[in-house]
Amino acid sequence: MTTQERILAFFEEKGIKGIDPETDLFKGGYVNSLFALEIVMYLEKEFKIKMKNKDITEKNFKTVTKIAETVERYL
Amino acid sequence: MQKVKCLVWDLDNTLWDGILTEDKNVSLKAGVKEIIKGLDERGILQSIASKNNFEDAYKKLEELGISEYFLYPQINWGPKSASIKRISEQLNLGIDSFAFADDSPFERGEVAEALPQVLCIDAADMDKILDDKRFIPRFITEDTVNRRKMYMADYSRRQDEESFDGTSEEFLKGLDMVLSIAPVTEHDLQRAYELTVRTHQLNSTGYTYSYDELKEFINSEDYIFLIAQLTDKYGDYGKIGLILVENTDVMRIKLLLMSCRVMSRGVGSALLIYLEKLAKKEGKRLLADFLATDRNRVMYITYKFMGFDEIEEHDGASILEYTSEEERDFPPYFTINTEKL
Repeated sequence: MTTQERILAFFEEKGIKGIDPETDLFKGGYVNSLFALEIVMYLEKEFKIKMKNKDITEKNFKTVTKIAETVERYL
Repeated sequence: MQKVKCLVWDLDNTLWDGILTEDKNVSLKAGVKEIIKGLDERGILQSIASKNNFEDAYKKLEELGISEYFLYPQINWGPKSASIKRISEQLNLGIDSFAFADDSPFERGEVAEALPQVLCIDAADMDKILDDKRFIPRFITEDTVNRRKMYMADYSRRQDEESFDGTSEEFLKGLDMVLSIAPVTEHDLQRAYELTVRTHQLNSTGYTYSYDELKEFINSEDYIFLIAQLTDKYGDYGKIGLILVENTDVMRIKLLLMSCRVMSRGVGSALLIYLEKLAKKEGKRLLADFLATDRNRVMYITYKFMGFDEIEEHDGASILEYTSEEERDFPPYFTINTEKL
């Protein structure tokens, strides 16, 4: 599975099904700060990375594509 | 000296006289009911570790009219140390804040061996327990008195959350949460103090203040000092959040904390949105102190996703500023009660 697919699988598991990798997650109401927290925790565990504070921004979490790009910088 | 937060009772020849499997008509030991009620009023939680048949023993507790006092009772044939450990996990309380009362030296020895941090008490000494300093809390707040009920409500909540089929936001919508944000009054000071010393994970700076310092903030023109309370359809969480803002030419959040019992409820975001609205209304910049510890990263992430940027960082001490252009609204699953906006 690609990074993007693994992230999409996490969304599905959380009951958010069939979103496009380019969907604006904040505007679409998919991500509240609560869910954002869960995503960070999930990414760190799943990809065995420790995200730097400067990377934890709304911009880097705007879409699934953006999240995947951010993660891949660590891999 | 460690204060006891939970007392675990044995049943046969400790809570009641006799052995239930031999005599169906056991009765409570003299003074036991007073002890149970006395500890309950002090906010000390109680549970059971007994080797018995669960149905029979629980029915007897109901008959005696005391079953409601015990959280997560462990009535089974396994080792009592395992039962006590399970209770501590369910209540999310450290094992070093537990006491265990049993008449049997064998059972006390087994627990002392496996869990040396637990205070073991001979059933024969139970008449002294209400005068024992370890069972006298530093102070009693409204939240202390209601502690057992809050844990009971947590139990039903957790059961339902685990079996809920849907997104976490859908679950939250069904909770009918009401978040009240109000200025701290003198009446709240002990609880405010208790929150600053007991809260570590959901705490942006970990700053602590003396009772008198906290009292000063109430009347100071230069500070906004707020306390938050949460209720939902299961009951009251009590006073669970505290905010201290230095309010001069800019607003600067010195302290933002929440009890771990409201983790994953979105309370942190709601409180930040409240402060964002307040700063906007007053036409001021909104800054926040952040002091990183090994446990409070969740709070940092909350700030970042609520539109704050780090403008300064030095050895884990940061200053954050709210920079987002976007107007945020309270999450739809909250009813917000507040006078200030």
